[in-house]
Amino acid sequence: MPDRHAIEALILDAVRLLAEDFELNALKSPTTHSPLYGEGGALDSMALVNLIADVEDALTEKFGVSVTLADEKAMSARHSPYRSVAALVDAVIERMPS
Amino acid sequence: MKTIVITGTRKGIGQALAQHYLGEGWRVAGCSRGEASIKHVNYRHFELDVSDENAVVAMARTLHSDYGQVEALLNNAGIASMNHALLTPASTVNRILQTNVLGTFLFCREMAKLMRRTKTGRIVNFTTVAHPLNLEGEAIYAASKAAVESLTRILARELAELRITVNAIGPTPIETDLIRGVPQAKMDALIARQAIQRLGEVRDVINAVDFYLREESNFITGQVLYLGGVC
Ligand SMILES: NC(=O)c1ccc[n+]([C@@H]2O[C@H](COP(=O)([O-])OP(=O)(O)OC[C@H]3O[C@@H](n4cnc5c(N)ncnc54)[C@H](OP(=O)(O)O)[C@@H]3O)[C@@H](O)[C@H]2O)c1
Repeated sequence: MPDRHAIEALILDAVRLLAEDFELNALKSPTTHSPLYGEGGALDSMALVNLIADVEDALTEKFGVSVTLADEKAMSARHSPYRSVAALVDAVIERMPS
Repeated sequence: MKTIVITGTRKGIGQALAQHYLGEGWRVAGCSRGEASIKHVNYRHFELDVSDENAVVAMARTLHSDYGQVEALLNNAGIASMNHALLTPASTVNRILQTNVLGTFLFCREMAKLMRRTKTGRIVNFTTVAHPLNLEGEAIYAASKAAVESLTRILARELAELRITVNAIGPTPIETDLIRGVPQAKMDALIARQAIQRLGEVRDVINAVDFYLREESNFITGQVLYLGGVC
């Protein structure tokens, strides 16, 4: 099972690639603290949809795990799991098959 | 080789569509609850229920890892039940909504993810003339297809940025198992309400689907095309 560090690296890579595709200057050199979606975040809903799908694909490709990030828990959470890179890392770890 | 996903390929219209697109040089990924009825080097069958979220996600993951992307989706799998509303059990209502609405939605969601990078994705959903004609005895079936039409129009907007078009086709009666139980008198009355009064044929459906799939149709989305001059 990948550790937190590996998941963080995977998400940062995905954000970087997306920032290039969508020409999002604020996210071209992302850190774990970078806001993503919502308050202060640079992603619009279409970019977010792409990022979530990219991260799910990369998790399957790199680690052979199938994780669904857009579940009911994510939709109803008080603090969106998509607000920052760190929050997204937490969301992936929480949903990793045990 | 381009990949087209077609649901409900074991028999009926879906089977004919699969054979047509295999003949046209596509790779076809089909599915149904039952076993494959098509044998072809470029055909791959997934035995699943379209309303089973985990199974649909697993199919999408397999297609992603084996083929990378998908160019088109035909949401053909569908069921009907012809019955007076007062004689329709809730379990039937659930079954119809699960297959026709949830199944269509899940395939749109999962396959759109695999179309993202192609910038030419095509989704064709299946409705019916029973909805615009407000056919008695088909309340739940028609309502489920009304939901499919609404999904079609809204997804057309939501997916436009990904350059995926989402349209629908509404066939008139075509001789398949779906309408086998409908009495002849009822069928004749229904056909009498069409501008062009004959049974539909699979080639009528293929013609409309072909039109939606064409490269040149990239400015056509959110549309519902009824056959036989029903409007
Ligand atoms: N025929 C008509 O007169 C007519 C008119 C208007 C619209 N339509 C629409 O055209 C589409 C195809 O109809 P058809 O006439 O070809 O019907 P059909 O002959 O009854 O075939 C239905 C196909 O869908 C599959 N299917 C049904 N439920 C499924 C499920 N839950 N999961 C996966 N596959 C499922 C069936 O295979 P399994 O049984 O193996 O699952 C079969 O291959 C439907 O959406 C229908 O509403 C038909």
